[in-house]
Amino acid sequence: AGGGGGAAPAEVCEKFRTARTLSAVESRKDPETEPYRSKYSARALLQEVKQLLSAAEEGGEARLVAVRRAVLEYELGVNHTDTEELSAGEEHLQRCTQLLEPHRLSPDCVSLYIQAQNNLGILWSERDEIKTAQTYLESAEALYNQYMKEDGNPPLDPSEHFIAEQEQLTDQERSKRFEKAYTHTLYYLAQVYQHLEMIEKAAQYCHTTLKRQLEYCGYYPVEWALNAATLSQYYLSKQCFMESRHCLAAASVIFSQAGQVPSAEDRDEIEQDQQDLRQRKAEIARCWIKYCLNLLQSARKLLEDNIGELDPDRQLELKAQRKKEEDEKEKGRKKAVLFGTSDICDSVLAMEEKVSSVYPLDFQEAREIFLVGQNYVQEAKEFFQVDGYVTDHIEIVQDHSALFKVLAFFEEDYERRCKMHKRRIDMLEPIYADLNPQYYLLISRQLQFELADTYYEMMDLKVAIGNRLEELDSHTIKKINSLAQLAIKYYELFLDSLRNPDKVFPEKLEEDVLRPAMVAKFHIARLYGKLITSDSKKQLENMQTSLEYYTFLVDYCEKYPDAVRAIETELELSKEMVGLLPTRMERLRAKLCPFI
Amino acid sequence: MAGKSRSGCEALKVVARCRPMSRKEEAAGYERVLELDVKLGQVSIRNPRAAPGELPKTFTFDAVYDASSKQADLYDETVRPLIDSVLQGFNGTIFAYGQTGTGKTYTMQGAWAEPEKRGIIPISFEHIFTHISRSQNQQYLVRASYLEIYQEEIRDLLAKDQSKKLELKENPETGVYIKDLSSFVTKNVKEIEHVMNLGSQTRSVGSTNMNEHSSRSHAIFLITIECSETGPDGEEHIRVGKLNLVDLAGSERQSKMGAHGERPKEASKINLSLSALGNVISALVDGKSTHIPYRDSKLTRLLQDSLGGNAKTIMVATLGPASHSYDESLSTLRFANRAKNIKNKPRVNEDPKDTLLREFQEEIIRLKAQLEKRGMLGKKRRRSSRRKKAVDGESATENEGEDDNEDGLEKNMENYLKEQKERLEEEKAAIQDDHSLVSEEKQKLLQEKEKMIEDLRKEQEATELLATKYKAMESKLLIGGRTIVDHTNEQQKMLELKRQEIAEQKRREREMQQEMLLRDEETMELRETYTSLQQEVEIKTKKLKKLYAKLQAVKAEIQDQHDEYIRVRQDLEEAQNEQTRELKLK
Repeated sequence: AGGGGGAAPAEVCEKFRTARTLSAVESRKDPETEPYRSKYSARALLQEVKQLLSAAEEGGEARLVAVRRAVLEYELGVNHTDTEELSAGEEHLQRCTQLLEPHRLSPDCVSLYIQAQNNLGILWSERDEIKTAQTYLESAEALYNQYMKEDGNPPLDPSEHFIAEQEQLTDQERSKRFEKAYTHTLYYLAQVYQHLEMIEKAAQYCHTTLKRQLEYCGYYPVEWALNAATLSQYYLSKQCFMESRHCLAAASVIFSQAGQVPSAEDRDEIEQDQQDLRQRKAEIARCWIKYCLNLLQSARKLLEDNIGELDPDRQLELKAQRKKEEDEKEKGRKKAVLFGTSDICDSVLAMEEKVSSVYPLDFQEAREIFLVGQNYVQEAKEFFQVDGYVTDHIEIVQDHSALFKVLAFFEEDYERRCKMHKRRIDMLEPIYADLNPQYYLLISRQLQFELADTYYEMMDLKVAIGNRLEELDSHTIKKINSLAQLAIKYYELFLDSLRNPDKVFPEKLEEDVLRPAMVAKFHIARLYGKLITSDSKKQLENMQTSLEYYTFLVDYCEKYPDAVRAIETELELSKEMVGLLPTRMERLRAKLCPFI
Repeated sequence: MAGKSRSGCEALKVVARCRPMSRKEEAAGYERVLELDVKLGQVSIRNPRAAPGELPKTFTFDAVYDASSKQADLYDETVRPLIDSVLQGFNGTIFAYGQTGTGKTYTMQGAWAEPEKRGIIPISFEHIFTHISRSQNQQYLVRASYLEIYQEEIRDLLAKDQSKKLELKENPETGVYIKDLSSFVTKNVKEIEHVMNLGSQTRSVGSTNMNEHSSRSHAIFLITIECSETGPDGEEHIRVGKLNLVDLAGSERQSKMGAHGERPKEASKINLSLSALGNVISALVDGKSTHIPYRDSKLTRLLQDSLGGNAKTIMVATLGPASHSYDESLSTLRFANRAKNIKNKPRVNEDPKDTLLREFQEEIIRLKAQLEKRGMLGKKRRRSSRRKKAVDGESATENEGEDDNEDGLEKNMENYLKEQKERLEEEKAAIQDDHSLVSEEKQKLLQEKEKMIEDLRKEQEATELLATKYKAMESKLLIGGRTIVDHTNEQQKMLELKRQEIAEQKRREREMQQEMLLRDEETMELRETYTSLQQEVEIKTKKLKKLYAKLQAVKAEIQDQHDEYIRVRQDLEEAQNEQTRELKLK
């Protein structure tokens, strides 16, 4: 049989097939001492095929011969790259693209051409020449787009040049393989952009990769869902809530496909799988929590005035603005990121309905997002229980507390706001009490600080409530004082945690605890100033203590000027107080003993 | 002991060790690129492809060990103080880091058969049990576990069922632990060696390709030493020290190993498998105020106490001297250099809630009480039975009561049982002989006696079991001079002591040398009161040259650092996460 028209000779096809199996399957079993044994055998076979072909070439159709040779060059190129012979690999791949160059847009060449360029991209990335890799991959991307625009029919798979006519692939299979090659192009580009620190582009290509995995059914539901959930977190950090929500909704929908497939037979294994599945589900829930939290916190940032309260003017302004620009812009953006085919897409959109992706502007809107977040907190906690998952569990509880904190911002009524903070105390305090700081020093400190802050905030609220009354009743005074004492207690606990084993407070604070420690000192100073007592002597004592804490700040910054950066405003206030307090104390003393 | 700083912080102790040139390397004519200054604790590495004038890079460590160093030197100078701390109730970790083939295993394990070549692990076994045998008024319990982390899965190397994957869990009170990890109580060096060998066998059997497997998996041998002692307050206190002996996977670029699939690629390389998409995405996410599913490595979590926690940690960076491993050696040195900055706050674990020692002590007391009860019971019975001359079914063994000597226990028991049995047999014979009884009645009585003998036998078995259990438990609690005896003689002890003193001396000397080097530059300026213009020029030129060289070195370093940037970033990710959490505090 001549090598001219039609299929390649059977002997050639057989050798080619064996070479591919050797390379893809057998090579995995190669021993450590000869890691490339099968690859080398495959290479020898490919060389044989090449020779057989050139013998049969005489009189054959030039184009067909060129394409077949290109396939061989491609296989040899990949083979050499795999065995770390980059230069030889590059030569073969270059020869492949040269042979194909004139026909690269025809259905029998385009797939091979793209794959050759993919591999050139990989090759250059191995050489740490990421920019060159980028050129090849981008050119592959452009070629795909051009082909789809001009032709669009499912092109031949490279392997088809070496199989018998009756074994030719179906259009469906061809398309699947072609699209897969292109998905890889995009995936490699995502990595290239990541290495070039073009983060936005990298994310965009990751997104497209995910999208294509879904469209061409090339994914494991759990893995896909987790990746989508992770990508949602990227969008969060960019404040793109619409995209973030879309990723999360898709993650939840796709994840729900996973549960039904019992993959293992062994009971133990099933149990382990179920356990894993539950964990992944909880991970996705945690991504949702972060979504709700970030959305609320960003809204808060937009709405707050310079003392951290809700600014009604801003609120009105933003509400008016929202009406105007609603949709228009969003719709365009949405189109770009939409996941999935129609039925999946519908479920995803339904999932999205459950929570807003625009900034909440009043308590009602905030509360809805809060409630969704809180539900996910419960879901996540179901898996991440204290017993076994201490760190994760506490992180979730901290998020829960943060949800309450930001919700309190939207609440106008001080009493109710206070109750929300009380809820935070109630969830944080018991966890803190059970925690051994020897192993959880960092978390333990975070909890101390948050508890102190929360008590502080509650005290402030009580003071504000008290100020509205005509006169402070003894009950309110007692409440204020006890809250202040509790805040002091937790700040002191935090500061104590900085002491060395001999209980001495460090002379110089470590960089990472400098600001928190200074803030704690500053807050304690203020708290002592706020304690209410009718006993002037006691008041004098409190003022003295307060002064000592302020003085600490001022002295420390004098001794270590580097510290100033970390606490500029606090330092300024402290300096003022250090100047003021002594005179005030003097006056009080004079009142106490008017005759001295 | 040289306490490093007053604030209770202690930096990770980092030492470097270089193996000799191999015959192969010598035959191939590779250049030597590493120079070690043992006195100063410095390693210099020269780039074989360096442009002329490029200076070698120098790294300073707590100690360096050149090719001529002995296993004992490393142990006495560096490891011994750490093991002593573990015996005092600190947690300690030792790990070797370096390219495969640079002597990680030689350093950790060595050649067990040759005393001179034994590595850290066998010497530390010896050290621990010798220490215990010389202790006074202390009770020890030593147990060992052995596990492996391979592709983020934890395997218990001592468990019967190897298919089970273990889970890393956390407890609010005791921190990170591995659920269901088996551990064996060991009474002496031989036993603990046996445990180690058992695990090593499992490790090699479980993998199809040992070489690849061991170079890509981490193994941790964990020794827990519990010690109870009566404190000055009259109360009994238990201290628990844990020692992690870590055999890390090879640090070299995995591509050289020819591994397939998801090999961890260099940061700037493209990962071929779509299964790594998750890694690509999570690398884009800024950890602050977001949640990234599933990213922390099991090894890091397991060793978190050792890296910036409450433990004392030693890292041995192992190096190859030849030019072909320049890249790997340099990256090992850089990693080691960064590790120096990790600060730990070591502290003694005193009276933790769930010690095995306490459990054992309680169990022993319980068993003892049971045995005593049986003993007492038996005694009373005997007396009463003698008096009444009638025996009821419940006979029991006897321990000569108040006598504490356990050796007597069995004998007593035997004697008593014999006695009882004989008596029963006698009575049986008596019944047989008694013609006054009706045969039916006789039969009944005889059966009764038979039953009594049977009961007696069962009872005997149960007691024996109890006694063995008691003894086994008791023997596991190690008490110096009693359950464990020191066999070294005085002379050897003296020798040991001297060796330790010398090691200590060396260590101090090196510290001083390093200090001196630092002072050198300052001193130079002070010394420079010039006697003549000529001299001034000379000195200034020298200084200029020195500064120029320094500048070149710095420049080269900057360039290298730049190249390193991406790789470093990954390493720093951990730290960044930590700081992010810290940030939340603010």
